[in-house]
Amino acid sequence: MLIDLFTVFREEADANGIVFYYSGILSQNVITTMSDSLKQKLQIQDEKGARSRKLFSTFIEMIQNALHYSPRAPGSDDTKEGSIIVGKKDDKYFVICANFIQKQHEARIREKIDPILEMSADEIRQAYRTQLKNDRHSSDTISKGAGLGFLTLARDSVEPIQYAIREAVGFENELSCFYLKATI
Amino acid sequence: MTDIYIPATSDTPEINFKFSSNTLSMSGEAYPENGVEFFRPILRQLQSHLKSLNGDAVEFNFKLTYFNSVSTKVFYSMFELLNEYAKAHPNSVLLNWHHDEDDDTILELGQDVQEDFTWIDFNAVVLA
Repeated sequence: MLIDLFTVFREEADANGIVFYYSGILSQNVITTMSDSLKQKLQIQDEKGARSRKLFSTFIEMIQNALHYSPRAPGSDDTKEGSIIVGKKDDKYFVICANFIQKQHEARIREKIDPILEMSADEIRQAYRTQLKNDRHSSDTISKGAGLGFLTLARDSVEPIQYAIREAVGFENELSCFYLKATI
Repeated sequence: MTDIYIPATSDTPEINFKFSSNTLSMSGEAYPENGVEFFRPILRQLQSHLKSLNGDAVEFNFKLTYFNSVSTKVFYSMFELLNEYAKAHPNSVLLNWHHDEDDDTILELGQDVQEDFTWIDFNAVVLA
């Protein structure tokens, strides 16, 4: 019975410290609504100050990254889709975002993130400053952001950010699933 | 130059650029869907206004509490314009950098701004 299944889903989420979960269509409207909800939730949990800000920033960078870079969802006209989860484990928050990417962009994404994974906190901070001062948007014409997104995430994460690229079941030829995780 | 007033929305800041008195203020949060496009007209007007000035004192009140990475980059371009103006007219630009006491992200960015735009007079203000 579906109600039972949903009950298990909810109870498991609660038991595992899930603060927030969304999976569906992405738009800026959906993002601002989710942001309000997350802020209120953090307030209720009495999570204030620096950590709450970093968590919020991580949430926005990830979900806007998904909105900007995911291709239109399979079978849709022009909608983007993504999933995001915020949870608390061992007194640390985690944020994981999942979205489709075009298979052909896989290498490009790896090239962007892999060097960051090797950096120390100081090196991340240095790279962030360099990118901030870099007037030109580099030669990367696909990037709509400022090249600062992943560095912002890495800067605020207390553990190295993690990512995974997995097969998009049913769309293996064109799409992959991109997962990104940060810890606050 | 006509003053700019844009009220805040949930993802864009209040922008109050009083060119008539050279008092420029921004407050709230900034994470629009496309930050570069949102701020482009404001940057353009700021640029042409600064060109029309001849050493007049300019005060910038930066009171944002959250901004995403794209907006951060846009603000750097804004400070670059102010820095260039201050370079041509020393001691003409005052940047009031408002931040929460426990907000180390905005505090650190303020330190970067101070180091990177040395012609701007930087004044850190702790939000009450």
